[in-house]
Amino acid sequence: MKLTKINKSYGDKRVLKDVSLDFPAGKITVMVGPSGSGKSTILRSLNLLVTPESGKFDFNNHHIDFSNGVSNKEKLAVRRETGMVFQDYNLFPHKTVLGNVIEGPTQVLKMTSKEAQQRAKELLTKVGMGDYSDAYPNELSGGQAQRVAIARALAMKPQYVLLDEPTSALDPELELSVLKVLLQLAKEKQSMVIVTHNMAFAKQVANKIIFVEDGEIIYDGVPEEFFSSNNPNERIKNFIASMTMENLK
Amino acid sequence: MWEIISSSLPQLLAAGFKYTIPLALISFFFGLIIALLTALIRLAHQDGAFMILKWIAQFYVWLFRSTPLLVQLFIVFFGLPYLRIKGILPHGIKLQPFTAGIITFSLNTGAYASETIRAAISSVPNGQWEAGEAIGMTRLQILWRIIIPQALQVALPPLSNSFISLVKDTSLAASITILEMFEVSQQIAAENYQPLLMYTLVAIIYAVFTTVLSTLQHYLEKKLGSRVTIS
Repeated sequence: MKLTKINKSYGDKRVLKDVSLDFPAGKITVMVGPSGSGKSTILRSLNLLVTPESGKFDFNNHHIDFSNGVSNKEKLAVRRETGMVFQDYNLFPHKTVLGNVIEGPTQVLKMTSKEAQQRAKELLTKVGMGDYSDAYPNELSGGQAQRVAIARALAMKPQYVLLDEPTSALDPELELSVLKVLLQLAKEKQSMVIVTHNMAFAKQVANKIIFVEDGEIIYDGVPEEFFSSNNPNERIKNFIASMTMENLK
Repeated sequence: MWEIISSSLPQLLAAGFKYTIPLALISFFFGLIIALLTALIRLAHQDGAFMILKWIAQFYVWLFRSTPLLVQLFIVFFGLPYLRIKGILPHGIKLQPFTAGIITFSLNTGAYASETIRAAISSVPNGQWEAGEAIGMTRLQILWRIIIPQALQVALPPLSNSFISLVKDTSLAASITILEMFEVSQQIAAENYQPLLMYTLVAIIYAVFTTVLSTLQHYLEKKLGSRVTIS
């Protein structure tokens, strides 16, 4: 999965400036950066929830040139091959946990209800929510809701799972339950792109780390170097220090 | 007194079941369809030629909300026969009273309900659209399976209000010669010189009808549950 020189503006504000990145398959790519830096916009370009004005996007047999626009058909095709997890879960409140997970498989992949339910139950067990099939989202804690959202994304058998600050809305103890699930997925070589503020987690799971600021890629490399005290980039050092609260004193 | 009541009650109820309730039910059904279409047109992001459709929708809502229902009934029933256009409509548009009633009540209800539905659809958080898009659903699938079920829970109380208003407003159909309940009560009162009794009786029947409807609304609200919280 690859982005080449993409640009995006909202009104006069340029939020992405000639961003080129690749997201290796089977690996975990983590994007970090200050709020409003454009990292979520980059993530949303990967399943075309956001369509940049120019640049190219290559993913499997999809080769999109944004300056020519993107057809609806192409958007749907890309989204069928990706899954997304949102910061505030966005579960469907009028559907049960099981109903949330089978919605995509039955409506989009046209699986039979029986097949979809069986798979959904396996996935829910995997994320530790096997006993909650009949519960409604408003009966779940944030951590539980987010794990259901992960199961919902996985139900589409996506090649890439895109996670937009998946634990930012959670209390620390609930955060752990979600991170454990993501660690498990990492072990299974599930391709993921994660936007996060959790530096400890980024350090632990990232195969590749990207630092975004003001719509530009400041750093694109490996976590060992990124987090090392020898990192020559002062901005990155300051950012890490502020995120780990080392500069409180 | 009881004799008068027992002799006129069957007539009133017959008129209620033959005209009042069908007028209300049929008009509300068409009204809802018109309202949903109007709301969707007004909410659509498209522009270009679509803007004309948006203007029409906006004009329609404005027109029916800013004029009295009784006047609308008069225009459709008494006025349209005089809409004569040479070559196209030489004899104007002559409608049966019941048809004129259905058309007017549907359009009137549609205008009000479209605002309710528009607000209800807008109240569903944008994240719900995104969640549907992220799993590859089409806009229509998302609208039908994700957004409308949630919007319905928000829209149900105000829509029930519209329906209850409509049931009572059908009494205006008396003025365009439809033999609905109120018209029948006027006729009986003219014969037996008991206007107080007759009009009180018909008022009670309207109250019974609308109370049954309110109970149904509460039942539906409970059934739909309140899992949707609008922030």
